[in-house]
This record gives sequence, C-alpha cells and structure tokens, in this order.
Amino acid sequence: MNCQLCQKELDAYCEGRSPADTRTQVETHLGVCKKCAESFKLQTLAERIIKKEKELLPNPFLQTRIMAQIENLEAVRNRAIPTYMQVLRPAIMATSLAAAIFFGVMMGSYYKPAGRGTTIPIELALIDDAAIESVDILSNE
Amino acid sequence: MTDSEIIGLILQGDRDKFRILVEKYQQMVFHTCMGFVHNRDDADDLTQDVLIQAYQSLHAFKGAASFSTWIYRIAINASLNKVRKSTGNHILQRLDILFGAGKEKEIALPLLDAENPENILIRQEHKDWVKKALDSLPEKQRTAIVLSNYDDLSQKEIAEIMDTTEGAVEALIQRAKSNLRKKLTSSHK
Repeated sequence: MNCQLCQKELDAYCEGRSPADTRTQVETHLGVCKKCAESFKLQTLAERIIKKEKELLPNPFLQTRIMAQIENLEAVRNRAIPTYMQVLRPAIMATSLAAAIFFGVMMGSYYKPAGRGTTIPIELALIDDAAIESVDILSNE
Repeated sequence: MTDSEIIGLILQGDRDKFRILVEKYQQMVFHTCMGFVHNRDDADDLTQDVLIQAYQSLHAFKGAASFSTWIYRIAINASLNKVRKSTGNHILQRLDILFGAGKEKEIALPLLDAENPENILIRQEHKDWVKKALDSLPEKQRTAIVLSNYDDLSQKEIAEIMDTTEGAVEALIQRAKSNLRKKLTSSHK
C-alpha cells in the first residue's frame, strides 16, 4: 500500500468500514509511514474535537426565551390602530401640510418692503454728495 | 400530531403549539449552528434567531419539503450569514496586519508525540486549529461536512436540504475531508 491509497482508505478505516484485509494494509502502512501516521493522528484528534462539540446541549432556558420573544412579537402586532385613526391620521397630516403651504404663500403675497418712517431733513436733501464742498464753510471767518 | 397539523393549529392562532416544534427541533438546530460557529453562546443565540424566524415565516411554509428540511435550510443560511459577518471583521484585521498595525498571533500547534491519539488531551489550541481548518473550507463543502458530521444525516437527507443530488453530496464530502486533511497536515508543519 502506498501513501495515496492509504489516504484514500483513511476515512473508511477511521469509521470502521474497511474490509479486514484493507484494514491490515492500512495499519501496516501507518506503522512504517511517518507522514500518513501523522495525518491519521491529526484526523483522529479533529474527529474527537467535533465529537465533543456534538455532545454540547443548548441552553435549558432557550425554549422559554423563544416563547417569551414570540409573546412580545404578538403583543406588538396586536397593538392595532383603530380603523378610523388609520384614515384620520394621514388625512390630518395632509391637511396640516396643505394649510402650512397655503399660509406661507399668503404671508409671502402680503409682504411689502418696509418704508421709511421719517422724512428726510431739508439740509440733508440739499446736500450734493457729488460736489466738493468749499473749505470756507468750515472756517469761522 | 404531525408537524403539518401543529403548524395548521399555530396559523389558526394557537401559538403555544410552537413550543412543541421548539422542543423537537432546538437540539438539531443547535448542533447545525455549532458546526459553523464552534461557540456555545453564539450557537444558542443563532438557534433562538432561527426558531423565531421559522415562527415568523410559518405562513410561507408550503409543505413541499419536510419541516425539518425547511428548518435546516434556515439554520444553514443564518449560520453562513453569521460566519460571513465575522469573516468581514477578520478581513479588516488582516488588512491591519498587512499594513503593519498588528502581528497575527500564531497558534502554537501541539506536538503529537503520544502514540495513541486517544490519549492526547484536547486543549483550546487544538480546538482553534480544527476550527480554522473547518472555516477554511468553501461554503458548500463546509455545509455538507457539518450536516454529515454534526447532524449525522445521510447523503440522501443532505441532498434534499442542499437541493442537489446524492452524488454531488458524496463528492462534496470527499473533497471537504481531503481539504481538511491537507489543511490540518500543512498547519501542523
């Protein structure tokens, strides 16, 4: 038996499904081939670990937790909104929105820029900003 | 009472009957999830999520496949989604390593010098190393090996769950075992 054949038969050998003569050949090969022997040990160890994981049981309170969560889901689902509210609520929201838009447009249409509250004094009205004032105005002579 | 009869009663409003289904299938779902996540707490949470999802989707169960097949599919999808999410986190960790932010902790593999593998004490390093090897398998191979090794299902049952042929399942399991062996041997060098 060579390594390739041994690797092929290893699964059946580990599971006890190998015929007697194949089993003997595998065992003989494992006794002389270090690489296949190592592979066999690793595979057996992996199978033991998987077996340990399989032996674990779920949390004993899992069923209670699941049923409690289902009760919560049903309670939320059953908190039904009355039929008249199912119609009234969207109607109220739509009406409020329309009223807000209408009110905004009305406010906008009545807007006028703010006018001046006081009349301009005559002295200021006569000032010609474009002209250069004579300095004599400022002297006391 | 058959599963179909129980489901009929639940859909009519007797939700307490779901307790019977939970009792019947929770261990099966737990083992399936355990095969993917290898952690008891995560498997418990996943089992809860799967059974709640099953309850919420009961109206969609048409009865074309058996209820157990249907539940297995939900469990596998939920487990694979969970694994994909955690793989995303691992990818970020690997990017950190690539850009030098951290060094990946090498798992020190034990020396298997005991002659009889039954005598080797199972340590956390062994479990991490087997978990890594299983996680490295492609999804279909991993699903097939989990259903075969953790749930002890026949190839026919696995084929029904995976919606494929028995021949394809046999090939998947063979390839999975071969890949596992290579991974275990190479990581032990």
